[in-house]
Amino acid sequence: MPAVIELDNLEVKLGNRTILAQLNGALSGHCIGLLGPNGSGKSTLINTLLGFYRPTSGAVRIFGKDVRTNTRELRSQIGYMPETDAFIADMSGVRFVRYMAELSGLPASEAMERAHEAFFYVGLGEARYRKVGTYSLGMKQMAKLAQSIAHGPRLLLLDEPSNGLDPEARQRMLQLVREIRDTGEVHVLFSSHLLHDIEECCDQVLILKEGRIAALCNLEEERKANRQFLELEVSQENGFLDAVRGLGCECASIGAGRLKIVMSDNIELRQIYQLASDHTVQIRRMNYRRDSLEDIFLKAMSNKPETNGVVHGSL
Amino acid sequence: MAVYKRTYKAYRGAMTPGWSRFTVLSRYGFATLFDSRMFTAFTVLSFVPFLVCLVFVYVLHSATAQQVLHAQFGRDPNSIMTNYWFLSFLGVQAWMSFILTAWAAPGMVSKDFANSSVQLYLSRPLSRAEYLLGKVSVLVVLLSFTTWIPTLVLFLLHASLQGHGWGWDNLWLAFAIIVSGLMWIALISLLAMALSVLVKWRIAATALLLAIFFLLPGFSFVIEAILRTAWGSLLNLPYVVTLAWAQMFRVSAPQHFRGRFGMVPTWSAWVTVITVCVLCVWLLHSKLKAREVERG
Repeated sequence: MPAVIELDNLEVKLGNRTILAQLNGALSGHCIGLLGPNGSGKSTLINTLLGFYRPTSGAVRIFGKDVRTNTRELRSQIGYMPETDAFIADMSGVRFVRYMAELSGLPASEAMERAHEAFFYVGLGEARYRKVGTYSLGMKQMAKLAQSIAHGPRLLLLDEPSNGLDPEARQRMLQLVREIRDTGEVHVLFSSHLLHDIEECCDQVLILKEGRIAALCNLEEERKANRQFLELEVSQENGFLDAVRGLGCECASIGAGRLKIVMSDNIELRQIYQLASDHTVQIRRMNYRRDSLEDIFLKAMSNKPETNGVVHGSL
Repeated sequence: MAVYKRTYKAYRGAMTPGWSRFTVLSRYGFATLFDSRMFTAFTVLSFVPFLVCLVFVYVLHSATAQQVLHAQFGRDPNSIMTNYWFLSFLGVQAWMSFILTAWAAPGMVSKDFANSSVQLYLSRPLSRAEYLLGKVSVLVVLLSFTTWIPTLVLFLLHASLQGHGWGWDNLWLAFAIIVSGLMWIALISLLAMALSVLVKWRIAATALLLAIFFLLPGFSFVIEAILRTAWGSLLNLPYVVTLAWAQMFRVSAPQHFRGRFGMVPTWSAWVTVITVCVLCVWLLHSKLKAREVERG
């Protein structure tokens, strides 16, 4: 898949502070998660993609075009949902979205039609004639999403879209992001510090730490690899370890009857039970887990950020 | 993205030309302003002097109308319709336009800052200059229709009724009307916008604008008295503008302009106006950003 966003040794300084340094990588997922602790540079990266901040050195390209030299053209293809409250309080919701769509270049009649459609799409159809200032926090988030999609962008930048939402509204927001992603007509850059949100929506994740890339991995490939980790505590080994290896699994004993097993794709848990039975091994405890985004994130956070900024594949 | 389907669909239709995007801001700006009945009423009120003068100029040239109205001016219309008459009319309209600006301008930009919506505007294919152009164009059109356009209409009406090449002979007056009007509009529009961007609060911006036009002149008198110089009057913007207009309209500055310490030269009035405008543009350029950057 061609890269949506290319980071080419990107460096951004604000004042005398280096916020982003030596970012390299190609983001090509349909929904790209942007993860990192507070102050890691997520919002700065989004602002740089929008052309609000100019790279001090290096370059950033969207759809193969340099942001610095094609800002105007790229902005017409980008939908942006900011993290903070951003709206026109004394305008009705639908008028606000129509206004924003017209500024993106839609003719007035098209903008009007798509503003109504966007409002229905995000579930605010009944509230579209109310002033945005009277909306609840959840409704404001949805209105922000509506204004970001009304002009039909090719790239959607969502900065903490589930901030401040109750569980039901959050699920609705994530559902909408997944729906938008699944249409295949738009790429989504989803910035969040909530791992669960990223894991639910994204197929690729970029983890930032102190302004550098701590990890860039394809979640879809991780899922496909489906590496399953088993931690077992057994009474005695009785050749059980070798038998498990014989199935093609990676296996290690860490003492006191505790074993760690990395199960391969074609092995089912039932076969492990069978082997234990065959070798009269009593399984006293078993933890069954797969390598989650949380593991990836924690490992990335504990590692020193890559100096060349590139990390591919699994960690 | 049909309503009944409720699915996302990218837009593949026609787009408006890039150069015309700022007109969207102007259109919505006008609509928002005239949503207020009070503002609409005052705008209509600002046309009353013009309508009155329009009738006056017609009556001045029509013996029949004078007979019907039992009004006898008994003088040559040219002795009434002097350059001073046009300057006075423009002066009245200028203050009307000042009230309109103080009412309308601060809210146009400061609301965008209050709602953090500047980032939404600038994340679209719209530059900062176009954003400002869109906002300022609302004021320029509105103020043009209350200042130099009505004055010019009166000039043209008088010229057409007077005949005998009066219009051609006094073409400089039409030029003075246009330049003076535009200078006033540029000054108060840019000042109001810059103050709004600076304080980002509508009420404070309005108060500052009023203070600059009504309190700063008092301060300028204090400076004049303390430093015993006429140069303090450059802080008095209404004074400065009147001085420049007097030159444009080829009338002598009012007598009370010659204070105890004399009068500043006219070129300094122009320099002051241009300096204020340039400062405002610089302020707008440096403060109007989608994101604030903390230096450190």
